[in-house]
Amino acid sequence: MLQNSWLLVVLALAVTAAPAAAQPSSEPNSCATCHASLPDQRLSTPAKTFTGPDIHREKGFQCIDCHGGNPATADKAKSHDFSGRESAMAFRGKPTGATIIATCARCHSDAELMRTYAPKQRVDQATEYATSVHGKRLDAGDRNVATCASCHGAHGIRLVSDAKSPVFPTNVAATCARCHADAKRMADYKLPDGSPLPTHQLADYQKSVHYTALTKGNDLSAPTCNDCHGNHGAVPPGVGAIANVCGTCHAVFAQKFEGSVHQQIFDKGCVECHGNHAVLKPSDEMLGATGHAICATCHSGSDDKGAAGAEKMRGGIEHLKASVDRTGALLARIKNAGIEVSDDELALREARTKLTLARTEMHAANPPAVDAVLSDGEKIAAAVETSGQRGLGELSYRRRGLGVSLGAILIVIVGLALKLRQIDRRSHR
Amino acid sequence: MLQTAMNWLDERLDLTDIKAFVKEKGVPLHTQEVWYYLGGLTLFLFAVQIFTGILLLLYYRPSAAEAYESVQFIVTKVPFGWLIRNIHSWSANLLIAVAFAHFFSVFLLKSYRKPRELTWVSGMLLLFLMLGFGFSGYLLPWNELSFFATKVGTGIAGAVPVVGHFMLRLLRGGDDVTGATLSRFYGLHVAVLPAIATALVGLHLLFVQRQGMSVPMKIERRVNAGEPLREMPFFPNYILRDVLAWYVALALLAALALFYPWELGTKADPFAAVPPGIRPEWYFLAMFHTLKLLPSHIWIFEGERVGVIAFGLAAAFLVFVPFLDRKASRGERSPVFTIAAVAGLVYLVVFTIIGHVAK
Repeated sequence: MLQNSWLLVVLALAVTAAPAAAQPSSEPNSCATCHASLPDQRLSTPAKTFTGPDIHREKGFQCIDCHGGNPATADKAKSHDFSGRESAMAFRGKPTGATIIATCARCHSDAELMRTYAPKQRVDQATEYATSVHGKRLDAGDRNVATCASCHGAHGIRLVSDAKSPVFPTNVAATCARCHADAKRMADYKLPDGSPLPTHQLADYQKSVHYTALTKGNDLSAPTCNDCHGNHGAVPPGVGAIANVCGTCHAVFAQKFEGSVHQQIFDKGCVECHGNHAVLKPSDEMLGATGHAICATCHSGSDDKGAAGAEKMRGGIEHLKASVDRTGALLARIKNAGIEVSDDELALREARTKLTLARTEMHAANPPAVDAVLSDGEKIAAAVETSGQRGLGELSYRRRGLGVSLGAILIVIVGLALKLRQIDRRSHR
Repeated sequence: MLQTAMNWLDERLDLTDIKAFVKEKGVPLHTQEVWYYLGGLTLFLFAVQIFTGILLLLYYRPSAAEAYESVQFIVTKVPFGWLIRNIHSWSANLLIAVAFAHFFSVFLLKSYRKPRELTWVSGMLLLFLMLGFGFSGYLLPWNELSFFATKVGTGIAGAVPVVGHFMLRLLRGGDDVTGATLSRFYGLHVAVLPAIATALVGLHLLFVQRQGMSVPMKIERRVNAGEPLREMPFFPNYILRDVLAWYVALALLAALALFYPWELGTKADPFAAVPPGIRPEWYFLAMFHTLKLLPSHIWIFEGERVGVIAFGLAAAFLVFVPFLDRKASRGERSPVFTIAAVAGLVYLVVFTIIGHVAK
């Protein structure tokens, strides 16, 4: 049962008017010829843009495939004939609103056709779009919402994998922000609780660790808007779905959180502590019951078991961190002096892994489990430190040995010099 | 005690000639005599290399799978293994530095002139052998730096005209640097080169003993004019001074081994990307940097090939210097060869420094 009336239009068009696979054409194209020379930029720019990089043009599609009309004649009336009597396809003009979805879906929802161009590409974008906030609002008659062209462009469309595409991972946030950071455009929209829809998401996201990883670390797997909200089916993640959404990448954290007491209490899951768009780089300072610790927002007071647990976990993590740093500095010192420490370095890496595991385990809010991991780490760090101290002893032994050897060599040198002087004197005599 | 032993030997071997030679042998005394000690110092460092090299041989395993681990074992587990390995590495570098100093001092003093042409030729061949020792020994720890530096170095050998490809395959034991290259370099380093070097060192010393020390041309002219040549007895005056210099070198080696230990680096991974800053040992830096600076083509010839030919010609020129410098052979001044030696020295120093600081 189809929910959206325009989806009926889309599917009807897709079934009845899907074009055959386009072929590069050498026939005259009066659309491009006439439109490129028109003084009205609204009419000339598309013609000019379409001659540049455009995946559709490169695959042999022409103006008529979306706009209809007859490119074989230079007669304006005949080429723009809405009745379809003058050409194989009636002129449709500029698609707007639901017509854009229908126009794109004629090909992009046609599995057989798409298979001939991009066999791996999905063909459910239009269906997904219908489930999005954008799609639902469009169906309700809101002409202000995003359609295909809003994000992908209309002419000069590039592949998603093209770094210049507005929907390439590094460009997605800016593309969404074209509307969502526009306070005037968003003025009429409200959140489910009736509060105004915020427009600072991009500013927040740009502060996040995700944005840094994506844009500065060149990590294209780092999330941008569509990774959490979906792209064609874009909606804000529901309250219960946040942990699942974050858990698609942060699986272990989500699993630990799933078993924690907080899972029952936190309405917004991960967002409660980490925020949503401005997800900052997590630090150990977030844990604890004092200072800037996030736990302190809910847990405080000496009789609060949660506060005590948070403090205990934080204390344990800080202790192991200090042990690892101290031992690392000791290894660096003796390594610099020529003692081979690669085995110890490997072991210390294991202690660092335990530190990371403890930080992960902390999401289950179970201090004894964290303590067990930390205790393993402490044992490793202590063993490495003992080995490092032995290295220091070895270094000291080597230096003493060198001192003694150099002393002996010096005595021989002085003895030789004295002997030489004696021999020389004797020779002169 | 020593005398008793000498008498015992004399009774059986008749050491009269040798004793007379040692007693009579003198070393000229003049303002440039300090350069004489460089030869003895090179010999001492060569002996250190043989001694420490034999000790390293006891534990080293020449295969791509075990070489790195065996060196790691030597420096961590074998008692004083760290000291032996560090002294071997440092002594190799000091040996080449002192050999170069010896070469330039002999060149500038024109000690190669008649009748010491063959002493010079054997010395030049020894210098090339020392560079060969350095090149082959550098790969043996099988670490990342040595692996890629050997790749570059053997690649340069491939640029030699006509026989380049054959030489490259001969050195590498295939088209690429692999465990086969390591086996070959090991064989070269511990058998082929030492055998040739020992023979050449023996020959070089024989020539020096037969002909005595060369004196600078200025002093030779005075001696020829009738001025007496001051001398010091070889034994014990000179030999004790030599030993003194060896002890100083030994102290320096021990201190360098402790305070500037030779890093082992990370194990070579043939599939890893070439790490930045790959460069050969310092004594090949000047040549390496020169080849880097050459354009890809000089006229119609490949730039690198032209560079390799030029270095080959320079090496041949150096070997045949005594036969080319006719003036020096006649006891006349030969400023062209002095300028060539100074230019060579300046070139090596400047390009080594530039090669070291260049990224």
